Amino acid sequence: MIIFIKAGGQLRAMIKPDIDHYTRKVETDGEKTIGEILKGISLDPSFVALIHVDGKMKDLSYKPSNGQTITLQPPVSGG
Amino acid sequence: MPLSKSEIERYQRQLLVDSWDKERLKGARVLVVGVGGLGGISAAYLAAVGVGNLRLCDSDRVELSNLNRQILFAAEDIGRPKAALAAKRLSAQNPEIKIEVISDKLTETNAIELTSGCDLIIDGLDNHSDRLKLNNVSFDLNIPFIYGAINEWQGQLSFFNPPKTACLACLMPEELQDPKPTPVFGALPGVIGSLQATLALRYLMTGENPISNALLIFHADTMAFETVTFERRPGCGVCGKTIPSGPRR
Repeated sequence: MIIFIKAGGQLRAMIKPDIDHYTRKVETDGEKTIGEILKGISLDPSFVALIHVDGKMKDLSYKPSNGQTITLQPPVSGG
Repeated sequence: MPLSKSEIERYQRQLLVDSWDKERLKGARVLVVGVGGLGGISAAYLAAVGVGNLRLCDSDRVELSNLNRQILFAAEDIGRPKAALAAKRLSAQNPEIKIEVISDKLTETNAIELTSGCDLIIDGLDNHSDRLKLNNVSFDLNIPFIYGAINEWQGQLSFFNPPKTACLACLMPEELQDPKPTPVFGALPGVIGSLQATLALRYLMTGENPISNALLIFHADTMAFETVTFERRPGCGVCGKTIPSGPRR
């Protein structure tokens, strides 16, 4: 199945976007968690502050389904 | 607490706004922790509309590298304490309100004293570690806090008031791995600080929290706002504790 990983900030370059400036297409199977998928694209999950899918927060154990976009938020802590 | 004649003239345009509760605003007390990029903007708007009592807390002094975004300060202020300067500027803009100056850092030791009597806390901090401390204080003392944070082209906003909502530690319980110094340009904290002030006013006057259990994300590079919902985290080290029994709004 195909999922899309989207990220901004310092994470954008780490995901190596190929669809547009922010998004990468990833082929995976339905059994893999987000944590496993990120490791599969050589992205250290410790750089990810938040993960959301369809407007809801998820964690690294979430198993995405075909066609979903997984959005990764970088740490945002300035003021 | 009725308005004076000069206050009625000063606030005449906002008194036309639907649901505007001038007395409630005049009687409110708000703690702004950090008066830099975010807190300086939110404090300026809260002062201008007549929040009756502002407590400004910041232990920093003005640096040249602050001036691309911290518009309460000028080049001649470099080296001077931010909290006192901010109070002076805001008092000049609106002498009708009371402003307290705390030139200390918020710590677990002084937190109760600093937050005592406040209806609301505005987060104007610049790091997640201190925000987690603020989250603890907010929960322990039953005072809601309005979270704001920025980095590069992204800003975030939320309202934490457990047990009615999740708390910051439900969402991001640990220190964040972000590079320092934070990449930031002035307009972004201007947007998020203004949203924090707007949310504060809405809460103070109506008790409403329109972004309960939600993180509002502003993507400045695409001009898009996004809302992401979340829930209280079972076993949260902060709001999963025994609920304090103090007064809530």
